[in-house]
Formats: sequence, C-alpha cells, structure tokens
Amino acid sequence: MTDPARSHDATSPRPDEDRQAFAEASESLWRITFGPALWALHFAGSYGVAAIWCAKVAAKGQDIAPLRLGFAVVTLAVLAAIGWLGWRSWRQWDYLGDRDYENAGANHEDRHQFLGHAAFLLSIVSFVGVVYTGLPVVFVQACR
Amino acid sequence: MTASAPRAPRPEGPYPPTDEMLARPVPSDLQEAQADRLRAAWRTPQGWRYWSAVNNSEVGVWYTLTAFGFMLIAGLLALAMRVQLAVPQNGVLDADRFNQFFTMHGSAMMFLFAVPMFEAFSILILPAFLGARDMPFPRLSAYGYWCFLIGGTFVMGSLLFDAAPKAGWFMYPPLATRELGIGSDIWLLGLSFIEIASIAAAVELIVGVLKCRPPGMRVNIMPLYAWYVLVVGGMILFAFPPLIAGDFLFELQRSFDWPFFDPERGGDPLLWQHLFWIFGHPEVYIVFLPSIAIAAMIVPTVARRPVVGYSWIVLSAVGTGFLSFGLWVHHMFTTGLPTISLGFFSAASEAVVIPTGIQLFAFVATLMVGRVRMSLPMLWIAGALAIFVAGGLTGVMLAIVPFNWQVHDTYFIVAHLHYTLFGGMVFPVIGGVYYFYPFIAKRLLSERLGRIAFWLIFVGFNVTFFPMHIAGLEGMPRRVFTYPAASGWGLWNMISTLGAFVIAGGFAVFVYDLLRSMGRRGDIPRNPWQAGTLEWSHDIPEEAWGARSIPYVTTRYPLWDQEGIVARMDAGRYYLPDAETGARETLVTSVIDARPLHIQTVTGPTWITHLAAIFTGGAFIFPTFHLYAPAVVCAVLAVAAIIWWLWTATARPPEIPVRDAGLDLRLPTYASGVNAPGWWGMWITMLGDATAFASLVFGFFFYWTARPDFPPAGAEHAAPFWVAAAALAFGLSWAATLVARQSNRAGSRGRAMALLAAGFVLTVAGCGAALLSVLALDPAAHVYPAILWALAVWLCAHGGVGAIMQGYCIAGLVAGKLTPDYDADLCNVTLYWHFLALTALTACAVLGIAPRLLA
Amino acid sequence: MHGGAERDVMAVMPVACMPQTNRQTAAACRRAAGCLAMLALLGACEGRQAVLNPAGQDAAVIARLFLGMLTGAVILWLLVAGLFLYVTVFRVSHMPRRWAESLIVGGGVLFPTFVLAGLLSYSLPLMSSQRTGGDGLVVHVRGEQWWWRVTYETPQGNRAVSANEVRLPAGRRTEFRLTADKVIHSFWIPALGGKTDMIPGRETVMTLEPAETGLFRGQCAEFCGASHALMAFEVETMAPDLFDEWLRHAASDAVPPATEAARRGAGIFAAEGCGACHTVRGTPALGRVGPDLTHVGSRHSIGAALLPVTAADLALWVGRTGHLKPDVEMPQYDHLLPDALLDLGRYLEGLK
Repeated sequence: MTDPARSHDATSPRPDEDRQAFAEASESLWRITFGPALWALHFAGSYGVAAIWCAKVAAKGQDIAPLRLGFAVVTLAVLAAIGWLGWRSWRQWDYLGDRDYENAGANHEDRHQFLGHAAFLLSIVSFVGVVYTGLPVVFVQACR
Repeated sequence: MTASAPRAPRPEGPYPPTDEMLARPVPSDLQEAQADRLRAAWRTPQGWRYWSAVNNSEVGVWYTLTAFGFMLIAGLLALAMRVQLAVPQNGVLDADRFNQFFTMHGSAMMFLFAVPMFEAFSILILPAFLGARDMPFPRLSAYGYWCFLIGGTFVMGSLLFDAAPKAGWFMYPPLATRELGIGSDIWLLGLSFIEIASIAAAVELIVGVLKCRPPGMRVNIMPLYAWYVLVVGGMILFAFPPLIAGDFLFELQRSFDWPFFDPERGGDPLLWQHLFWIFGHPEVYIVFLPSIAIAAMIVPTVARRPVVGYSWIVLSAVGTGFLSFGLWVHHMFTTGLPTISLGFFSAASEAVVIPTGIQLFAFVATLMVGRVRMSLPMLWIAGALAIFVAGGLTGVMLAIVPFNWQVHDTYFIVAHLHYTLFGGMVFPVIGGVYYFYPFIAKRLLSERLGRIAFWLIFVGFNVTFFPMHIAGLEGMPRRVFTYPAASGWGLWNMISTLGAFVIAGGFAVFVYDLLRSMGRRGDIPRNPWQAGTLEWSHDIPEEAWGARSIPYVTTRYPLWDQEGIVARMDAGRYYLPDAETGARETLVTSVIDARPLHIQTVTGPTWITHLAAIFTGGAFIFPTFHLYAPAVVCAVLAVAAIIWWLWTATARPPEIPVRDAGLDLRLPTYASGVNAPGWWGMWITMLGDATAFASLVFGFFFYWTARPDFPPAGAEHAAPFWVAAAALAFGLSWAATLVARQSNRAGSRGRAMALLAAGFVLTVAGCGAALLSVLALDPAAHVYPAILWALAVWLCAHGGVGAIMQGYCIAGLVAGKLTPDYDADLCNVTLYWHFLALTALTACAVLGIAPRLLA
Repeated sequence: MHGGAERDVMAVMPVACMPQTNRQTAAACRRAAGCLAMLALLGACEGRQAVLNPAGQDAAVIARLFLGMLTGAVILWLLVAGLFLYVTVFRVSHMPRRWAESLIVGGGVLFPTFVLAGLLSYSLPLMSSQRTGGDGLVVHVRGEQWWWRVTYETPQGNRAVSANEVRLPAGRRTEFRLTADKVIHSFWIPALGGKTDMIPGRETVMTLEPAETGLFRGQCAEFCGASHALMAFEVETMAPDLFDEWLRHAASDAVPPATEAARRGAGIFAAEGCGACHTVRGTPALGRVGPDLTHVGSRHSIGAALLPVTAADLALWVGRTGHLKPDVEMPQYDHLLPDALLDLGRYLEGLK
C-alpha cells in the first residue's frame, strides 16, 4: 500500500515527534502555565516566609518592616518576569500581524499563535494575581 | 526523558490525508465485513458476563448511575436534617444521629457524588468527543468503578449500623481522633480507598486527552470539554494527595497512637486543617469546572455558532485551576493565623473571581452573537447561572476577612456553598443529562417533565437556601441539631424545610422521567440538537465500537464545518475502520498536534479487575476493624491480581509490528517510552505521588514553624549511619535500573537481569536501612519520632513497590515479554525509579540532616 | 439518647432564653432603624445573637461593610441576570461580535480587577484594626465539652474565675485569650464582633469593644461533638464602674447558705461529692473538672445558656443532666429524690 518513496516525505509522521513534542512543542503546553506558575511560586513563597517570620523572627504584633520591604522587592521582580512572559506570548500570538482572535485553523501557525494567546491571557491574570498578593504587604503592618 | 527503542518501527505513509484520499470509495462488501469484525471485537458480553465489561460506554453508565444513587441517598439525609430543624427543639433526630447524617451528607456529596460524577461522566463521553474507541486504559476505569462501588457502599452502609462517622465531613482532630467507635476509621479508610480510585480515573482522563485525540485535532481545536478535563485531572492530581497524606497520618494516630494531631505530645491539630483544605478548596473547583465544561458544550449548540473567546475560556480554566490552590486558608480565617497570612489568602480568593467571571462572560458573549434557541438543557444552564452568580457574589464577601470572622461556620456559609455547588454543579449536570441523554440512551427525555422538574428544583432551591443567609446573619451556627425557640430562627428554618421538600419533588419528577424512558426505544434523530462536536456522530442503534472509523479533524466543530464527515466515518473511510486481528484497538496520537503515532491495543472484558478491587477493598476495610492480618493477606492478593492483569494484558510484544491503519498509513502496534500511554500514566501518577510525599515533608516543617519545641531539645535523632546507608542503597538501585534499561536496549539481556537483581537486593537493603534508622525511636512518645517514622514507612512502602517492579522486569526478561525492541515495562519502571530516587534522597535528607539544622 | 430524652430537651428549652428588658429592646430597635430597610423587613435585625444588630465597635464596622457589599452584590446580580435574560429571551438575533468581545474584556477582566482591588484595599486595613490590643482587662476563656471556663485577669494581676458567662465593660477594649481543653471550639459573640477558634495546645487572641450595655448571646461556632448545639453563653456588657464592682464580687468567696433548705442542699452537695469536680470558693469544694460554682446563683443561665437560674431548673439540671445535654461528662444524679434535688437547687441558687 505504501509507496516507499513517500515514506520519508515531509508529511509523514515523524516517529520521534513526541520526543520533540515533549522537548519543544509540549514545552509550549507547559509554557502557557509559566505565568500562573510564577504566581504560585510567589504566593507560596510569600505565605511560607511570612509564616516563618511571624513564628520565628518577630514576636507577634511587632513591626514587620524588613519583611515587607523584602516582599516588595520580590513582588516587583516577579511582576517584571510575568510582564516579560506576557510580552513574549503577545509576540507569539502575533495579533497585530494577522488580527486573528480565534486561531482555529488546523495548522502549525494557528496552534502556535493559539498557545501564545492563551499564555498572554494567563500572564494578565497572573499579573493581577501577583498584584493582589502584594496588597496585604502594603496594607498590613503587623503579624498580629 | 526516555526515547523510543532505537529499532522501533516508525509510522509510514502519507499524512495528513488529502481530500482525494478521503473521497476514495470503500466497496460496500468490504465495509460490511469490516463492520462485522469491529462489532465482534467490541461486542459487549451478554448475560451475567455483562458485568465483566470494561468498555467506557458500560462502565461510564454504571459509574454515573452509582454516583447519582449516592447523591439521592445523601439528599434524603439532608431532608431528614431539614425535618429535624423545621421547628425549634425538635426531637425527630437525636444529636448523635443528626451528626452522623450531616457528616455523611457532606462526605457523600463530595466524595461519592461530585468528584466521581465528573469522572463517570467524562469516562462516558470523553472518548466520543475525541472520536476515540475507548479510554486508553479501560480496565483501569473498571477497576476504579468497582473500588468506588465497594468503598461507597461500605461508607454509606455504616449508617445502617448506626456506626457512621459523625465528626463532620472535614474530620477535624482532636474531635475526630478522639471519637469513639469506628466511624472515623470508616471515613478515613473508606474514602482514602475512593480517593485512590479517583486519582486513577484522573490519570486515565489526562492520558485520554493528551494521547487519544483523533488525527488532526491539535490543541487549539480540541473541544473545550477536553481542556477542562485536562485542567481538572491535573487539579485532582495535586489536590487529592495532600488529603491522602493527611489520612495516612490520621489513621496512624487512630490505629497506633502516633501523636500527629495531639498537642500534648507535640502534635498540632491545625496541620490536618491545612492538609484537608489544600485538598478541600481546589475540590470545590474540581466540582465546578467540569460542570462549566458541560455548559461550554451546550452554549454553542444553543447559540448555533462557535463559542466566542475559545482562548479566554482556556485561560479561565487553567487560571482557575492554579488560583484555586491559593485559597485554602479562607476556610481557616478564624484560627488565629497572622494577619498578613490571612491577607494573602483574602487577596487570592478575590483574584479567582476574575477567571471565573471571564468564563461566564464568554458564554454570555457567545449567546449575544448567536441566535439563541432556548432548549431544555439551556434552561438548566440559565438556572445554574442565576444561582451560581449569587453564590459567587456571597463568595466575594466571604473572602473579606472581617466579614468572614462574623459569618464563618454559620448558616450564611451553608447558603453560600449550596448556591455555588447547586448552581455550579447540580444544575449544569442535570442540564448535561438532558443534553447528552440522546447520546447515552438513544432516547429523549420528556420536555414537559423536564420543565416541571426544573421549576420545582429552581424554586425549591431558592426557598430552601435563600432564608439560610438570613438565619446565618441572625447568628445561627452550622451543624447544630437543635436551637432554642427564643432565637427567632424558627421561621427561616421552617421555610427552608418546606423548600427542601419542593426540591425533593423536583428530583422525584426527574428520576421518574429517567425510569419512565428506560423501557422505551425512541426513534430519535442522530443529532437532535444540531450540535457541532464529534459525539453526535454516534450510531443509532447503538454500536459498542465508539466510532466506526476515527476521523481526521481540522475544525473545532467538525459536524458543522467538515462537510460529509459523518458519512465518511460511517463508510469507514477514515482511520482504523477494521479490526483485522480481532483485538480492540484505538489510535494514539501526539500531544500537541495529534499526529497518528501508533495503534494501541486496549483491553477487553475481564473479571480480574473485580478481584483486584475486592482485595484492594479488603486491604482498606479490614483495618477499620483492626483486623490487620486479613488486611495484609488482601493487600498481597490485590498486588498479585494487579500483576497478573498487567502481565497478561499489557505491553505484550506484538505479532505484527506494523499494521495498516487506513488511508495508506502504516503504524506500529507497540510503543515504549514517551510514545506509550502507559509511560504517561506512570508520569502523571508519580506527580500525584510526589505531591503526597511533599505534603508529608510539609508536615515536618509545619511542626517546626508551629511548635517552639520541634525538634525537642535533646531528642534522639534518626541513626545517621543507617540514613546514609538507605540513601546510598536507593541511589545505587536507581542507577542499576537505569543501566539495566540501557543494557537491554543494547541487547545484553543477561547484564540487564543481573543489574535488576542487584537493584532488587539494594532496594530491600535500602528499606531495611530506612527502618533501622528510626527503630530506636518511639513514635507514640512525641510527634518528632512519629513524623520520622512516617517518612520511613512511606519510603519503605515505595521501595517495596519499586522492588516488585524490578522483579516484574526480571520476569519479563526471562519470559521474553521484554526484549531489546519491546521494553515499555522497563521504561515505565525506570520512570518510577526516577521519582523513587528523588523521594528517597529527600526523605533521607529530612531524616538525617534537617533536624540537626533546625535544632 | 432517644425519643424520651429529646422530649426533655424540648420541654425545658423554651425557658432557656430570657426575655429582653425594655431598655435592651429599645436599644435593639434603635439599631434596627440603622439597618437597611430591606433587611429589616426580612427580620435580619432582631435577636440578641444577630450579626446585623451590632452593639460593639467591631460588629458595627462589619455590619456596615456587609451592607455595602450587599448593595453592590444585588446590583451586580441584577445586571448579570438581566443581561443574560436579554440576550437569551428578548434579543435572540445576532449582535455584533465586537460587543461580545468587549463584554469579556470589560465585564470579565477590567471591572472585577478594579472593583476587587478597591474592596481589598478597603478591607485589609480593617483586619488590623479589629485586632488592636486591649485596654488592660484580659479574659481567658477555655472551651470545654460543652461549656466555657472563664477567668478574668486585671492589669493589677487580680483574677476571678467564672463559667458560661462573659461580662464586659462597655466602651473599653477587652482582650480574650482563648484555648480549648480536648477539641476545637469557636468563641463568638455576634453582637460584638467576629469569632476566633479555640484550639487545644494553642492560645488564640482576639479583642472586642462593646459600645453599649445590654444582654447578648454568644455561641460555639465550631462543631465540637454531640452537644455542639447546646454550647452557648450569656454576655452582659456593663457600665465600667458597675463592671469593676461586679468583678470584685466575682473574685470573692461564696456566701454561706442562708435558709434551712439551702443548708440541707449544701450538705447534699458535700455528701454527693460534687466538690470533686466543682469549686465553691470558701468551702472544701475545690474540684477543677467542671464549672466554678462560687457565684452560680448570680449568673444569667446554667448549663451553657441552657436553663435559667432557678432552684427548680438547677434541680432539673442535676437530676437529668445527660438527658438535657447528650454525652455530657457530668453524671446525672437521678437517684436523688425530688426534694433533695430541690434543696440542692436552693443551695446553688443562693450562691449569689
């Protein structure tokens, strides 16, 4: 049934495609989660450091100025990282290039842009999430 | 990363298919012969053998009906509680029975209805969304179902013996650890058993979405339901294990008096609350998202146009999945945690509103641009929206800490949670039943009865639960079996009770409708709602093969946008139109772009899953009665049954290495490493396992932050020599396994066997060393030795499984099941060992190094 | 604990809550007027245990916060439900795609982001202000199954032990140090403020500042076993000078029995070994298992706000304890004859 000449043409499935999917394409499935993962790291880190600080360093009710300063710096760094991810995925989405909002085509390009679009939107939500996580640092002055 | 074996055959032939290829006619006699062979391969067993079926269309229906049955029982419990609370100082239920009832109502609704329902429904319909023949591991679904049935019946049955758990569905220690009788043990062991089945189902669903999509269905065009399954499966994987770790500690305390939650011996009841709610809050979204997924399938059909904002909905699903893990402390706002910690969780609880809102607005947007045809399923979705939005808005209030301090644990919460869960889960699921019923049963439910049921349940719901907001604001706490007349709560409670009976009436109508239609054989159109997704290519009358041929998909709504696709599927013009070998087969495709990779043989009817489930059940149920010897026997038999099942039915070297898959494509019939669904199953399972282990390690450090005396001054530590020996043994065993895989690939079977044998011995030695390291410590004396013991036991249990796997591979090499070309088992075992090595090294670091640093 | 026992509970509980005095009713009415009219209609502003009937600083702040959020929530619900109804029923034809996309961006992202950020910015500082330190008086409350062990500690170090009742000076901020004996409980006086859990092995802290005098009701809010529903307490907020006077009295020893019946009761109290579990200061009774009874006769209730303090109710309680309160630890003295129980009741009632 198979024409041997065609068996190696560009359209035949490559046997190691999944390997690449894991290394590259599947990385792009992971990539859409980078933004939320940063939020999660920042959140878990904030919670953990605050818990340890309040339990071990500051007696309850004491001022936590160094802690808040540290949080502020880390929060800004995480926001910058998410902003950078958002910028990259905005480029990947390439909305200005083709004004394509749906990316519903059955081709590599649409799949690529779709993953960019999803990653971009997730960056926005993660950005807001990190800003929210930062609010208690602004408004709460004590462990107690 | 494990690559496929070097000499493994590759897919050959043209892909993607051209229009010309798809138009090529298939002779009608060939079509019939193919159909007959397929029918024979997928035939559902008849008579009493019917119960040996493993096909998703059978298991999915049993699963769904069982979960629904448990829901009805849990609903009846609620009705009894409402009767008791109808008037002040009522005497219908005494305190003890009332407490059993509310505990079981919550536990059953969560563990026996909400989560299993998602899994059951998904097992039933996911393959159809994907044009797949079945789930990738049908016997795993069957095993999961039988576990669920046994565990659920056991837990529910305890009510009949007045022995049900009665410390609340949240089982807070010390109340639950001190509880006399076996109620708490039934809860812990019975539900742990079901949680494990839930995780198994989640693994299978994730693999199904990633690897069993039809050719061409790239991630950007897969049905939204599949996206939700992926997200929810992932959430189950990270949410359930902390609870399992908690159950593990809890049962150790109940059975052996290891004081994890006993403050007098250094323990802390709050650890359980953390572990429980790290599970418990994502759980709420695990319940909610699949129902939204059903809505995401119904809304475009009703609007008669593709969903608006596909990427937005994917964003909201993934975003909600992540954010839902940052909310757990909002169940613990009143436990006196530092203000700043509460602030973080308050903020995250508000942040999760954003993706949820996007989700809902995307539906409204779709309805805006479409031309809406208000059908019965849509009526239920509309009701869901009205109720859920109200619950969401009270949720926004509850995330505000000071307000939460006031109404936490009052009837305001009862109202809120029922608004979110009824609106977010029950209504969409019933809408889904009406929508998918023609697909499942090949019949339609009554439109008239459906509307009656809707209005009864909708009105009844609001009459029941709206007044609870007011009762809560008037100070009525939750979980009270009675209240004084002077409280003024009587009126609101009476109204709620009346409403509860209206809901019950609505459910009675719904159940009557289901039963009434059972006997009938309607003549319904194939696609009654004119929907656009693949499940509506189903066969009428029913065929067990799932899809006559597996289509090449290029759009999000193939039935709308790919002309003639159903006729082509029926004519067997797509992939796998035949069952030449008589085996059940489905197509495995790549993760991102769904390129066909290989033909996967899937398992057929069997009784081994029943045996495995019964013995697993025994291993969990006997300890409830402190019968440890029978439990150990059952555990051994369960392991034996599972080994037998894997040995006889999975990863057998194929007789024909490459086969015609249709459309001139020739595909391998065996895969190992990353191409194999089994490898993915292992990877995903181990993620969950690692999460459970991480929860134990979290426990260790939690004690350190929460208790000033951890580790206690002058306490005896784990023996450093044995800790180091354990780490070394596990490390070497891991290396031996890794090298064994390479040796086998290189053709040196003997060396592979020798290495695995050495690995086996090292593993056993490692387990022994881990136990020796803590042997001198008394785990019942203080929480510090107890947590060290728990880590050692956890490591040994995993070492035991690792050793069994090494033995299994030696046997495979001896019997020729594993060869240099066909080494899937060895790849999967190596993957397990990567995780085990990580577990061992972490455990040894915590045992040996951490206490000395912290002390 | 079946049928008959429950009927006992039914029989006695209606008397458990005392009617409010006129003064308190008037105060409640004034507060009710401050509530949103709609909620007043629904009846959410009555009762001594109501969140929206605040008599303390913290509760008032929370009630205001809630009413603001409620207003916003009602408006938003109407908007969303109305929009949904509009697009599914009233205007089923196509609408421009641009509108739909703007709806997602505007309604799903921008609007909630800013509204919720505003709400958080407003509410986060409230948390700290509700946790500000007390003015000096510390009340230690220990949750037991199912009653409250209460110890007052003044800044001068004077202590007074009581049970099942909390008295507070109005206009001063009092600190509560909370813990529990065996299982978790939660300490909650809705009229004064939010709740805080009482956890074995931990001490949690909260502060409350009553704004007016009156009689209120608190209740355990964390499920704590069979009689969780029957674990409440009376709260009296008093003018500071009256409070100080009361506290001095609370720290004093018990008054000796004044009547013949009470003296007989005191004899029974001693003979039955009640002192093994209960303390009556100034007598040989020094038990620490159960509530301190030194001034039980001057309390507003017994049995954790289950019954009023009359000789008959005290007799009922001692004779039928387990029936009134399922699984309670105190044995019931149903072997005592009714007259003996009544004498015991008279003795206890006299412990003013």
